[in-house]
Amino acid sequence: MKLLLINNLFQGIWADTGFSNLYWDNGIMILVGISLIVLAIKFNLKPILLIPLAVGIVIGNIPFMHSTPYPLGIYAEGSILHYLFFGVLKGIYPALIFLGLGAMVDLSPMIANPKLIILGAAAQVGILVTFLGAIILGFPIAHSASIAIIGGADGNTAIFLTSQLAAGLGNLPAAAKVQGLIGPVAIAAYLYMALVPVIQPPIMKLLTTKKERLIRMKPQRTVSRNEKIAFPLVFLLLTAFVAPASLPLLGMFFFGNILKESGLTKQLAGTVSTVMIDILVILIGITVGASTQADVFLKWESILIFVLGALSFMVATAGGIIFAKVMNIFLKKENQINPLIGAAGVAAVPDSARIAHEMGQKEDSTNHLISHAMAPNIAGIIGSAVTAGLFLAFIL
Amino acid sequence: MRTLFIAFDPTLIGSQTLILTILGYCIVLLTLSAMAFLMVRFHAIRDYMRTRRLKKETPPAAAAPLKVVMTGEENAAIAAALYLFFSELHDQEKYVMTIKKVSRTYSPWSSKFYNIFNVMKHW
Repeated sequence: MKLLLINNLFQGIWADTGFSNLYWDNGIMILVGISLIVLAIKFNLKPILLIPLAVGIVIGNIPFMHSTPYPLGIYAEGSILHYLFFGVLKGIYPALIFLGLGAMVDLSPMIANPKLIILGAAAQVGILVTFLGAIILGFPIAHSASIAIIGGADGNTAIFLTSQLAAGLGNLPAAAKVQGLIGPVAIAAYLYMALVPVIQPPIMKLLTTKKERLIRMKPQRTVSRNEKIAFPLVFLLLTAFVAPASLPLLGMFFFGNILKESGLTKQLAGTVSTVMIDILVILIGITVGASTQADVFLKWESILIFVLGALSFMVATAGGIIFAKVMNIFLKKENQINPLIGAAGVAAVPDSARIAHEMGQKEDSTNHLISHAMAPNIAGIIGSAVTAGLFLAFIL
Repeated sequence: MRTLFIAFDPTLIGSQTLILTILGYCIVLLTLSAMAFLMVRFHAIRDYMRTRRLKKETPPAAAAPLKVVMTGEENAAIAAALYLFFSELHDQEKYVMTIKKVSRTYSPWSSKFYNIFNVMKHW
């Protein structure tokens, strides 16, 4: 009798452990998480983003008994992870990250050379192509929009759009399916942001000649403080009137920028651009990572999302470069644009601008492109947020 | 048309979707172009205002154009000063303090102990 009791007790403990609930798919996802941690540390691939995400993948795939009396998994209502995930599901974290981003970036390169803004719009062609591609592959329109926005190379915009589409679809069965896309779409977007140094250089080299890569751009003029304060306000009004659905992102972005440029709210700008954004990156990384529970994530659909996302990112890079080359046809010789900075039109700030600069320096170490490349880079953030707003307006 | 894994069906893109997609892209392009246009116009207006203000402020007597002639030596001196200034400029310090270790060969002449001992002996 006593032996039976002890046996039952051990069986109960064993059934509660991760070992007894482990399936091969959990194992694969844990290995993916560990590989990403190794990649981030060994190759310095945006570790600030990739490490929380990868640790989240490991945490989210620890197997557990689903019939526990206490909620445990990220999708179990009432669990701590679920509460943390709330900010992703409702699009709160992306909006707040945009506030920090606004307080971090300097709009001067854009104000000093306005024509470079158009490169940010040109890179949005990746979103357009992938949207149509996803529809051809049989994805519903809402899914296609979520997948296509990966080409904007901004995980926050991708999360925002997917969460808002899910919220907009209300109680329809499609809403739950769109919500299920948040994990794969965000992981793809963040992963491609981290892989900018791997994906973009071959495309940049393929589409430009050595002569084009050597183009020196005119030094930028100094931008006055009044311009720095006035333009965020003008941009906010313009973009918000065109696409009001993107207001949570763009409103916060320009608000953050005004905090920085006013010069009188340095304390607030300092907080949102350092401490607050760090906390949000941790929360968004860990929860999005944990949302990749194997039973939800490991599907044929997720692989397609990754393939389409990569395609979107590559087309966006190519779109920016080709558009810069087209612009050069119409520009005077002294105003020529180095087409490498066209690749910075994707919104991966500041990585794609840095890559454009490094590619230029490989050809001529005295050619500094970073400040020029920041203009399309920031325009890319604004462009992809406007595109997300338009998707919301058109689809819902 | 079907392939092994993926179903491709271009007819799934209805004419309405296509029009909306192209329209959406054009709106993004136009919005950002409008931003660029506003900035270019702003620069033109700012330059015009500045010229007008300068015209107002300048007394008629001083209207004669001021011809500044600079020699090559002066230009070289300015360039050298700027170069020195920028090469000495530190945006951010490293906040790392290092103590440089200097090893000295031992000799009775540099020995602290020996010197102290000798002084003690004299006492």
